Amino acid sequence: MLRFIFTRLSHMLIALFVITVIVFSLSHLTGSPIDALLPDDATQQQIDSLTEHLGLDRPYYVQYLTFLQNAAVGDFGDSTKWKGNTAAAVVLERLPATLKLGGLAVLISVVVAIPLGVLSAVWRGSVFDRMAGVIALLGQSFPAFWLGIILMWIFAVMLGWFPTSGYGGLSYMILPAIAMAWFQIAALTRLTRSAMLEVLDTEYVKLARVKGVNERSVIWKHAFRNAAIVPVTYFGVLAGSLLTGSVVVETVFAWPGTGLLAIDAIRGRDFPVVQSVVMFFAVFYLLANFLVDVLYAVVDPRIRFS
Amino acid sequence: MFTLKLITPAVLGSFLIAAVGTVPVQAQTIEMVMSPPAVETNRYWNTPGDFALGPSMQGLVGHDPVTGAYDNSGLAESWSHNDDFTVWTFKLKPEAEFHFGWGAVTAADVVHSLALHTGPDTTLNGISQLEGAVAEAIDDHTVTFTLPAPQVDFLFVHGGRGSLVIYSKAQFDKEGLEGYDAKPAGTANLQYVERNIGQGLTFEKVENHWSGQDAQYDRLELNFVAEPATTLAQLLSKEADIVILPRELQGDALGAGFKAIPSTNASNQTTMLFNGTFLLPGYDGLDETLPWLDIRIREAINRSIDRQAVIDVLYDGRAEILPVFGMDPRHEGYVPELAERFEAAYGYDLEKAQALMAEAGYPESFSNPVIPILSSTLAGNPEFPAMAELMQVFLDEAGFQTEIVEMDWASLGGLRSAREAKMFHPMRNLPVKPSAVGIRNYYSATGGPRNNYEDEVIEGLMEKYMVSIDVDERNELAGAIFTRVFEQYAVAPLASISAEVIVNPETVSAWTFPGTTSVGVSHFGSIVPAN
Repeated sequence: MLRFIFTRLSHMLIALFVITVIVFSLSHLTGSPIDALLPDDATQQQIDSLTEHLGLDRPYYVQYLTFLQNAAVGDFGDSTKWKGNTAAAVVLERLPATLKLGGLAVLISVVVAIPLGVLSAVWRGSVFDRMAGVIALLGQSFPAFWLGIILMWIFAVMLGWFPTSGYGGLSYMILPAIAMAWFQIAALTRLTRSAMLEVLDTEYVKLARVKGVNERSVIWKHAFRNAAIVPVTYFGVLAGSLLTGSVVVETVFAWPGTGLLAIDAIRGRDFPVVQSVVMFFAVFYLLANFLVDVLYAVVDPRIRFS
Repeated sequence: MFTLKLITPAVLGSFLIAAVGTVPVQAQTIEMVMSPPAVETNRYWNTPGDFALGPSMQGLVGHDPVTGAYDNSGLAESWSHNDDFTVWTFKLKPEAEFHFGWGAVTAADVVHSLALHTGPDTTLNGISQLEGAVAEAIDDHTVTFTLPAPQVDFLFVHGGRGSLVIYSKAQFDKEGLEGYDAKPAGTANLQYVERNIGQGLTFEKVENHWSGQDAQYDRLELNFVAEPATTLAQLLSKEADIVILPRELQGDALGAGFKAIPSTNASNQTTMLFNGTFLLPGYDGLDETLPWLDIRIREAINRSIDRQAVIDVLYDGRAEILPVFGMDPRHEGYVPELAERFEAAYGYDLEKAQALMAEAGYPESFSNPVIPILSSTLAGNPEFPAMAELMQVFLDEAGFQTEIVEMDWASLGGLRSAREAKMFHPMRNLPVKPSAVGIRNYYSATGGPRNNYEDEVIEGLMEKYMVSIDVDERNELAGAIFTRVFEQYAVAPLASISAEVIVNPETVSAWTFPGTTSVGVSHFGSIVPAN
């Protein structure tokens, strides 16, 4: 098991290094922050002065090495858009908002999708199953930004049940969390359903039924426990996609998390913050997948011995 | 949301009403929604001029809310200049005070602020007007600016455009820049409360403000929302009292009973630039394949544009046709005849446009006949992408070969710095700048590298204009430059528009602002609540 964990960790570090190269290169490929920071009537002197001030006149490899060295200790430099703050501080300040919203979205996804998937499989071909199929289809077809705006107009503007947007308590989180969770509900429902169908068709489940075990135990104790391994592996993807999904949903709902921060930073070519956000997303995604790998190995011994 | 929050608990309030017969004190909050600024910071000199701190910070010079003329509603009670406009003296109001007990505004604060604003990290729009300026405190309330060259329009940097706003030196000496980051002391009748990064700013009323004019409400919340649909939703659900909306969404708000309040004067001019028209002899970087180097093509493009349709589609009919980009009746060099001649010289006339194209041999005689039209977005000008599409429709109809080039505004800035923005692209003049600044930015080599047009005649006039200190002569020279711009079809001027806010009339009854700032709105302290 230790060897398995060590191998996965080393893969993570290699991935992280590659990500630093990609992040640094891509952020510089989008252009110079000077162009975003300076006004339309900037003089040559202003351009030169700010270029030097931000260290952008140094060769790319020097800028990259400095970035790498500082990133290793969590220092991504000072934000150019949010002056007076370090990039890491800006990200950390916005992180709780994203985690709160993402956490609620995960909760909604699991609470809705797992029972929906299980019951769809149990009542295969029924009206309930077809309805679940329609929900899954719609969830995977609706773009999150469109769904967000529609939810906002119906439940905030027309009905007045929730605030339209902004940062606040649970009432502010419900609409964006649903917009974020819907796609995942669709995916998780389908995964759970197919895993359950497979398990429900196995001999040990049939044997349990023949032995007279009550149906609730058959479904939740014998079938679901074994089927759950498939949705569990999906949690790594779920965590990552909730972060990336936050970019769209947070922008629509003016929710001040890291997703909206990423958009603002990209628009303002705030390299330190863009790099910081992407590195955070990457580390989060890698950690989530690492945990899923470990969990998977714990649940299924074939994985750690393969 | 315009909230009425009982400061005293209801029960105690009722008791007090019964006891003393007074109305309970109510705290009134105005919520305003606007696009996030390009840079969010309390260090104004680190922004391009996005004056989100406008409610609390002031410059030396103010503006009349109706006419937009400079007045002494800022921190200076009077000013004067020497004969050649190289030394300007400002007398500060002795009663002017900083918030939070940081003391009176003195000449030392002005000197300190100039140093901050002209440092190496400045990104301010129009800062070139302060290049080389030396400020000197003559006494506590008198400060002089000595300039390296005459500047007739020097008040512009001190006014609503706000290239120089005044920070407290006492606060800096004690707390450093961190003090400004945490709670900058301003001087207006609203004072800073807090900034929530990515969300907005809050200000509160200063009781018994030194100017004698207190705000008529208690708190102002500026909320940043990037999505126009979300902004509209906030207004329609009455969470917001005032919003800045793109024109295409304003109809929905007006149809639902909300009210538009425009600035009292035009705040913005829009145009399409023929960038790369660098016609000064001997310039090596000229791309001779650009079709619009031929004046007949520039005229033909101008005549292909139905400006009234542009105004109807982009500005819902609430704009004026602009005769010359950069020229404005409030500034020197205004030539009324150009407005009168506009229809004859620039009027929508497809036949004339096609005749000009044929005369120029378009497209056969051009090695690169395609007109690249830039589609981009710029905060404060959400109509730019639609403008690009409209231009393509008009030009295609006339028979031009066109292509839309999608690019973010910052990338365009990079190309302009490299003088490689060889496109027909939108531009704005917000706020409408003094003629000398506008001419320099757009039509003269002195505005390099980001200018878009140069020719020998304008350069000759510009040399005299920049050094002239005679009012009549300056007026004549600026007028001559605008006439040259007009006759050369140097750009395709489109519209002169006011800044507009949409308000909930149940909570906001009036707001008078002259459209003199880089965000269009100002005079936040004069917002009048409905009740």
